[in-house]
Amino acid sequence: MAIEIARPAKTSLIVQTPVMPAAGTLGFADEYRGLIDYANLGALVTNPTTIEPWQPAAGTRIVSLDAGMLVHTGLPNPGLGALIRQYRRVWAKMPIPVVLHLLGTTPDQAKRAVELLDAVDEVAAVELGLGDDMGIAEASALVRAAAAVEKPLLVRLPFYECYDLALPVAEAGADALVMTAAPRGTARDAQGGRLVSGRIYGPLIKPLVLRMVGRLRRELPADIPIIGCGGIHSPLDARDYIEAGAAAVQVDTATWVQPKMLERIARDLGGWIATRHADALLDEWHPDMGRTEALQGRGTG
Amino acid sequence: MRETQAIVERIKRVNRGYQRLELAVDRSLSSLLPGQALLTRRISKDYEAENWHPYLRDLWFPVDILASNMLVVERPAREQFVPGQLLSILGPIGKPLRFRQKLRNLLLLAYETPPTPLLLMLPHLLAQGTSLTMVTLGAARDYDCTHLPEEVEIIQASDDHNWHDMVMTLGWADQVFVLVGAGPEQTQFAEVMRLIRSRRNDVPANMIFGIFQRLLPCGVGACQACMLPVRGSAKLQCLDGPAFDLTQLRLA
Repeated sequence: MAIEIARPAKTSLIVQTPVMPAAGTLGFADEYRGLIDYANLGALVTNPTTIEPWQPAAGTRIVSLDAGMLVHTGLPNPGLGALIRQYRRVWAKMPIPVVLHLLGTTPDQAKRAVELLDAVDEVAAVELGLGDDMGIAEASALVRAAAAVEKPLLVRLPFYECYDLALPVAEAGADALVMTAAPRGTARDAQGGRLVSGRIYGPLIKPLVLRMVGRLRRELPADIPIIGCGGIHSPLDARDYIEAGAAAVQVDTATWVQPKMLERIARDLGGWIATRHADALLDEWHPDMGRTEALQGRGTG
Repeated sequence: MRETQAIVERIKRVNRGYQRLELAVDRSLSSLLPGQALLTRRISKDYEAENWHPYLRDLWFPVDILASNMLVVERPAREQFVPGQLLSILGPIGKPLRFRQKLRNLLLLAYETPPTPLLLMLPHLLAQGTSLTMVTLGAARDYDCTHLPEEVEIIQASDDHNWHDMVMTLGWADQVFVLVGAGPEQTQFAEVMRLIRSRRNDVPANMIFGIFQRLLPCGVGACQACMLPVRGSAKLQCLDGPAFDLTQLRLA
């Protein structure tokens, strides 16, 4: 079932299921081959990429938390040009659209990046990640620069500024809003004994972001799609986001813990949406149903 | 790399602090080699009853392979397991350790950590006639080695990290594997390198390897949390490790 998850632009971002990995979780290309069947996902969102190469963070990068984790990798990447050279052949073979996550820094860099990306057919869309603590003027300028891209532009909002930035960013040219980046937090590294700052992941993030999605769905113009992202760890979590008004969802660290969960959520949500549109009973679909079984259930097997 | 399930078949206490679990595993894991590990988490039979605590998978280095589908792992005795416990396993993680072709004397150093990741290599190397010495330093001395093969020479270092015949032990070694505790491991590797350099004039490349056992969120190179600055490039512990030449690493 084809679903358009970004406002129509010069090109469209059409996915078969409204489920994709969050930036930073599935790598730059097919790192999860052998564990995940990419064809069952809606799209691949790459790890964050910058114009210039970034080095990994020094010190502790992972802190284990109760039912979650703190992550501070420093977002290492070889820089956009090197990344394109390294991965474009792999992207070309991916069975799903590739959405490149571009880390927003300055309008000049965003402009340079989208000029490069417009020439890369293997990238179907760009997701611009806004930095934390960005003001409205700064974020709008960045999005305006990135909106020069001819591909659909998704913009991932920072957690704490989500309410303030959503409408200005949509008006500045975003074709869809991703809500949100993981919140920042501080935790003590039990092994190293120091306090470490980073992004917080885990199931507890879901209720926080779900509320944001629900409220902003009511406040924002209806034509700007919202992609829910935060704490999704089960098919039911993903359904909650759709019910709150999201057009699609992104799954983050649940994939690291249970790689098959992403595919399971994708199959569940894809089937759920398909059966909902067809007025079928919900219990006619379950994510573990094989293709043969599903076809037989419809009397076409 | 595959995701498979395992069942805890037997549990045996091997010393006052550790227990060994015999795991029935997928046959694909029976070809696992020293250095390779498993990312493991407990699961329930009911997929919907997924428990997200603890969240991250544990990195388990098997200590023995009993048959084509039986692996043995060593876990702290405080961790509770029962026969029949289901486990989800991602693996094998990492590359096998590379031993010198004409390896005669191998030195194993465990500093502030139990030597568990070093144990799988012992039967293999002993069968080849390699002379094995294991030195425990710091908190590693708390590990009771009485269940290890008698042919392995076990040395407990003193509080100031010295031991009898230290110069000879370090000088005779053709190859050294160093294991350090959790925390700022690059600092600890640097301490061990200083110790070695203080007793040995030449420390050539490809002789002293540090074994990393960081928390690995994904294990497939996607999260990049285990990236290490190796001279000339960046390497990932989960794909390129766990052993890295300590002369090539930027140490603290």
